[in-house]
Amino acid sequence: MLLEMEKMTKKYGALTANHEVDFNLRKGEIHALVGENGAGKTTLMRILYGMEQPTSGVIKVDGKERQFGTPADAIQSGIGMVHQHFMLFPSFSIAENIVIGREPGTAGRFDRKEAAQVVRELSQQYGMPVDPLMKIGDCSLGVQQRVEILKVLYQGADIIVLDEPTGVLTPLEVKELLAAIKGLAAKGKSFILITHKLHEIMDVADRITVLRDGKVTGVLNTADTNAEELSRLMVGRELAEFKKQPSVPGDIVLDVDQVTLQAGKGKPLLDQISLQVRAGEIVGVAGISGNGQSELIQAITGLARIDKGKVRLAGQDVTESSVREIRNRGLAHIPEDRYMWGAAGEASVFENGLMGYQRKHQRFGFIQGKRSRKMVADFIRTFGVKTSSQETKARYLSGGNLQKLIVARELGHGTPFVIAAEPTRGVDIGAMETIHGELLRRREERGGILLISSELSEILKLSDRIVVMYDGRITGELRTEEATEEKISLLMAGGDIHAQS
Amino acid sequence: MHNLKQNAKQLIHPLVAIVLGLLAGAAAILVVGGSVTETFAEMWKGAFGNFYFFTNTLARSTPIILVGLGVAVAFRAGFLNMGSEGQMLLGALAASLTAIYMPGPVWIKIPVIFAVGMIVGGLYSAFASWLDTRFRMNLIITTLLLNYIAQYLTGYLVSYPFKDTTGSAALAQTQMVDKSLWLDKLFKGMSVHTGFIIAIAATLILYVFMKYTVSGYEIRSLGSNPRFAAYGGVKRGRLMLFSMLLSGAFAGLAGTVEVLGTQYRFLDGALSAPNYAFTGIMAAMLASSNPIGTALAAVLLAALQTGGMGVERNTDVPLEISSVIQAVLILFVTARISYSFIKRRKGGAASGSVS
Amino acid sequence: MDQFLDISLFNSTIRMVTPILLAALGGALCARVGFFNVALEGMILTGAFTAIVGNHFFGNVWLAVLFAAGCVTLFSWLLAFISLHLKANEIIVGISFNFLAAGLTTFTLRALFDVKGAYYDKNMTGLPTWNIPEVQDIPVLGGIISGHSPLVYLAFLLAAVMQYYLFKTKSGFRLLASGENPVAAQSLGIKVRRIQYGAILASGLLCGLAGAQLSLGQVTMFSEGMTGGRGFIALVATMLGQNNPLGVVASSLLFGFMDAISIRLQGFSLPTHFTLMLPFVVTLIAMFFFKDKSYLQHSNKINGRS
Repeated sequence: MLLEMEKMTKKYGALTANHEVDFNLRKGEIHALVGENGAGKTTLMRILYGMEQPTSGVIKVDGKERQFGTPADAIQSGIGMVHQHFMLFPSFSIAENIVIGREPGTAGRFDRKEAAQVVRELSQQYGMPVDPLMKIGDCSLGVQQRVEILKVLYQGADIIVLDEPTGVLTPLEVKELLAAIKGLAAKGKSFILITHKLHEIMDVADRITVLRDGKVTGVLNTADTNAEELSRLMVGRELAEFKKQPSVPGDIVLDVDQVTLQAGKGKPLLDQISLQVRAGEIVGVAGISGNGQSELIQAITGLARIDKGKVRLAGQDVTESSVREIRNRGLAHIPEDRYMWGAAGEASVFENGLMGYQRKHQRFGFIQGKRSRKMVADFIRTFGVKTSSQETKARYLSGGNLQKLIVARELGHGTPFVIAAEPTRGVDIGAMETIHGELLRRREERGGILLISSELSEILKLSDRIVVMYDGRITGELRTEEATEEKISLLMAGGDIHAQS
Repeated sequence: MHNLKQNAKQLIHPLVAIVLGLLAGAAAILVVGGSVTETFAEMWKGAFGNFYFFTNTLARSTPIILVGLGVAVAFRAGFLNMGSEGQMLLGALAASLTAIYMPGPVWIKIPVIFAVGMIVGGLYSAFASWLDTRFRMNLIITTLLLNYIAQYLTGYLVSYPFKDTTGSAALAQTQMVDKSLWLDKLFKGMSVHTGFIIAIAATLILYVFMKYTVSGYEIRSLGSNPRFAAYGGVKRGRLMLFSMLLSGAFAGLAGTVEVLGTQYRFLDGALSAPNYAFTGIMAAMLASSNPIGTALAAVLLAALQTGGMGVERNTDVPLEISSVIQAVLILFVTARISYSFIKRRKGGAASGSVS
Repeated sequence: MDQFLDISLFNSTIRMVTPILLAALGGALCARVGFFNVALEGMILTGAFTAIVGNHFFGNVWLAVLFAAGCVTLFSWLLAFISLHLKANEIIVGISFNFLAAGLTTFTLRALFDVKGAYYDKNMTGLPTWNIPEVQDIPVLGGIISGHSPLVYLAFLLAAVMQYYLFKTKSGFRLLASGENPVAAQSLGIKVRRIQYGAILASGLLCGLAGAQLSLGQVTMFSEGMTGGRGFIALVATMLGQNNPLGVVASSLLFGFMDAISIRLQGFSLPTHFTLMLPFVVTLIAMFFFKDKSYLQHSNKINGRS
């Protein structure tokens, strides 16, 4: 065994992130570590990389016991990590990003020419082409991923941990990445692949370790298992069979008409986007994050000014309206990032629940305290938000509970139109089911919902129609019955399904 | 019950800071060879020892409270307004010029003088916020620079065009304001004047405003997470202008009250030398921008200063001892901020790494 | 106008620029590691005061400069400790450090010398001026460049050294990296915290020198608040110079020139108020015209704009 982790336990106060987890890795192996969000995958790998100290447990590399106090120790033992959020320096060149920490040069001088040369050789040796002098900020995410891998190879890593490496990549880039991993494994490098996307690992991984609630629920050879077994091990129970009535679309509630959003002189962030949402239907927007979804949300909600086109809400032109006016006209908005947009951590649960209602619950400029408190209490009760009181600061709520509060607040407006952006990102299964159920209920009540999600499974589960965004454009629209993962993936990469069929 | 506990918690840290500040003061007294007990006793006497000193402290605290309230409003909205000094000076000068040159009956003049002082202070502050929103010029730096500009501008105006040429003294000052416009003293022969009542009323009004009104809620939300506020339909640009206007208006009011209640004219340097503006900023920092806390902190800081004068009169320890205590106090208050930061960090790390 | 724009004006520019330049270099170093140092003003003031104190006790102007540099470095360590270690808001801490510096210098001035407002000792000697043998004979240029205190030359030398350090050495590269993306730098085993401490301490040292030039180079005395906003101007010089040492030299020269003009104008029959106001107005206008992106990030952090 190249690497053994025995009985790893990590506790944060009362919370146990890892409980006696065993994990091992052979030389030249690709070993996938799978599990739901919050199952403890990332924690385990942060321990391996010296970013967290285990509460108990032993790590052995080549049979020798090791302790990693810092990432530098782990790097020393030949462990490299590619983080989910890339650890790169946007204004530095590719070569600088790769050699940092072990720069070539003599007597303290940094020899940048030498660095470029070394990187050129390295990229040839492993068959991963990059231009050493290009600035990272100008590179695509696929290239950045490649730089990250070259960086750990330059550091001399034999064990490479990849944390959710495909989340931000296009399907084509994913294919390239997986091929590169296989190639490197054939050259004797070993990989730990953290992911919750089962179909990706089925064709590259040799073995799979499944985590649930911080415990190992299975260690399997890929050849002996299938996606169904894995998802059962991940979730721990059969998911409730999901039924939804066919939709009966009514009048148009949201009409986005040829909307273009320009930023500076570059190409537009939104390029002539048109889409409609009708009463009583859920329209899903699929796409790799960063292809204009955030801008689309901001354009509709009034957070960004658009350059061309019109946005109509329930037949009224709201293109020039402020956020407040648009909300008053009948829009509610579950934001894509609850900490950035959806809440103020230092403010109380009450103050967070009140946002958007402050001008409805007022008399002579004063907020009606009793009425507002009762409303927030209703949110807490009906959505099962776990909080000690309304005075608790929002940052003490878990991600799932805060998200439930936000969803309750937004659906509470009872508006004919709702934007639900990444409504279940990073929440546990229970909260996810609650939120999905409530969104469908709103649809039954003849609300129109625009669902924006980077999770294809969520889009397929909830939507009646699906539009796909790529590079600021809509590349296709499908009815859910005719949608398949393959078709959507192709559109997500900017392809054209009609050209093939 | 829960509220009570939280309030108590909020009080502990300033109290600890005060104790540490006094300890540092004791150390400084020992260094210069004074007696700690005697010095502190004199300090207490100088601030609260008899009715005269007590009212003196309250008089000194009046402009500090008002400036502090203004700073607290801006801080709450998330804007570090460091320009109270300039806003106060311009407000004070505008108010005294109005008082001197405006014709008409007293009952019209008084509200107009107050309005002018507040509006001028507010506009100067709003100017900085306009530079920030429109041209993205860093608010902290612009407000600091504008202080110097206001200081020299008012200095020029009272040295040349509006200089008092009636008296024999060659001081840079305006003429005296007519007696009918003076704010009444609260007690005969004591320096505290109705301005103090105005400051207390302003404190209570601001407290209610921040806590119970829609605008107060929106200002607080802007300060706690500006994106969240924008998302919820709060209009940032307008609210920033409003809160900075309000902030400057408080500083202008401080200047106006000081002119009508104590100086009776604008004398170059008379408002800058006692450091009212920066003491007000300290008061707001000390109280984490809570209006009532800011007023209490302002009285405390004023007491330190008047107490320092008592120390100087009766012992060999210099009055600057109070500056040291103040500075250390502020430093420990920042450490208090850091204490809550540490807690936040830890909480964040725990919840962040399991997701 | 021939009386106005002469050699001595440029000569005094070089002299006036030195405190601003030294402090701005310190500010730039801090900005490069992502620390917005608002305490420059207070650190220069402390430097000016401790230089006089050192001179008084050691009777040696060189020891006095060293003493000032040492004291302010110690002072900046406290700043670093509270903001980095205790994770306090760097701006609030910076502002309170300016209060602390004002309070401590006033008190100590009183305690040590038993004077109020200012301390002046006619027996005290300030920094010598160096006339550079070959250079001083060059027409025009010689008159501008020669005849300054050693700290003036040191300031410009340090700017060049810093330029080389940041952009040519490994250590400088890592410093830039810690500022650009501290989390990433940390994950590579770069000791970000230590680098940040280093930058703040270095800024303290530089401000100590700046203060010494102010109280021993330009005059030989200390007066309360004698920095008169130079620290804030230095902060703007840092921004305008985009945190590049050479850029900082350029922007500092602009402000030093304004300082020199301001003093020169006092000889004409303009009210001193306007001449004193000039540097601040020019600084404000300069902020309007030149905007530095990294500074904008800071202002975002402060004001929370998205």
